[in-house]
Amino acid sequence: MAGTLTLRVITPERIALDTLVQSVRVPGADGSLGILPRHAPMVAALDTGLLHFHTADGEAVMFVSGGFAEVRGETLRVVTEAGERPDEIDEARAKEAEQRARERMAGTRPLGEGEAVDLARAELALRRALWRQRAVEYSSQ
Amino acid sequence: MASIRDLRNRIKSVGSIRQITRAMEMVATTKLRRFQDKAVASRPYAQEIAGLVGRLAAALGDDVSDRPLFRPGAGTRVAVLLVTSDRGLCGAYNSNILRLLEQWRQSNPGVEADFWVYGRKGYQYLQRRSRPIERFLVDPVLEQVDYRAAARTSRYLVEAFTSGKYAKVLVFYTAFESVVRYVPTEVQLLPVASTIGAEKTAMAADALLEPDAATIFDRIVPRYLETRIYNALLESLTSEYASRRVSMKNATDAAKDIGNLLKKIYNRKRQENITKELLDIVGGAEAVK
Repeated sequence: MAGTLTLRVITPERIALDTLVQSVRVPGADGSLGILPRHAPMVAALDTGLLHFHTADGEAVMFVSGGFAEVRGETLRVVTEAGERPDEIDEARAKEAEQRARERMAGTRPLGEGEAVDLARAELALRRALWRQRAVEYSSQ
Repeated sequence: MASIRDLRNRIKSVGSIRQITRAMEMVATTKLRRFQDKAVASRPYAQEIAGLVGRLAAALGDDVSDRPLFRPGAGTRVAVLLVTSDRGLCGAYNSNILRLLEQWRQSNPGVEADFWVYGRKGYQYLQRRSRPIERFLVDPVLEQVDYRAAARTSRYLVEAFTSGKYAKVLVFYTAFESVVRYVPTEVQLLPVASTIGAEKTAMAADALLEPDAATIFDRIVPRYLETRIYNALLESLTSEYASRRVSMKNATDAAKDIGNLLKKIYNRKRQENITKELLDIVGGAEAVK
């Protein structure tokens, strides 16, 4: 195998992942990006979605929410607001969040005082909820 | 002169005050550690973001100062984010930061400020002086503040800044230097000081940028501001509890000293009374003889 790649997922609360990988697929803002060891230096904006990675133990996923990926040297740093393994995700909560976001977008949810329907934010919340559920589904297969 | 019974009561009440302050000291110690751990845990993220901002600024070249959020605001007022505590009994923590605020006001006469406030103490202070409070940030409560809350606050401030009402956005918070040193600090949040450029570290010239440097840069600047606010909140909370721990320790020590002194007086008095009674008895016995 040609070299190794260290994948490090860094969030404001913790370092969510720090492991050697053989390949990674990140949810780039303009589409999925595959990264192999000895990749050229790169900075990419990320979308909300799943990070797929191959380690010696097999394939795994992690939910990431926005942020950036940077390849520098032999390390891929994923700097993101949330990095959660499927077993850390609360599926019931994600379903609730989905429900809430759908109601907001449909305008059927009563608004709090001084609150306005923010479609863009509701949509982002919906996407996060859906991707979280996808992560759980993926790992239970 | 206090009677023996008064003295006994005072000794008891000083003792219970001491127990309470000791308990508060211990609570403050645990919380201090918790916020310190949080601050340490958030550092890698903040460093990565700051590093990226610096490297991207280098990739963009000299036109960084022209990007949105880098130009001075269109307005004349100043938006101030003030971080104080919800509760007292934390030494000079609140008065130090509020004094810095007053100094700033004095050295900038005529500048009108609108306030975004963390902490009930600061809110009450501003309200008593009827300064314009734009928002009192209570959700979630200060102690449970997390990154998402900091991000929300950052969004409010960026919105206010881009509305064109303000010339700049300042943050008044308490920087945590060590467990015995916390410094009230004023920093400019917006426009983003071009000092970012000073940290420029060249990115590999052939680095790939997806989608392109300008887009990534405009996306990362808000994240950078969030990390600054999150860090300011965590440092303030750490300072608050460090300060509270010290003042509770002092209170406990003082209670101990007063307790000892009172006990000494009490014992002397008791001894005196016994001697007096003995004298009475001896005197009486003598008289009967």
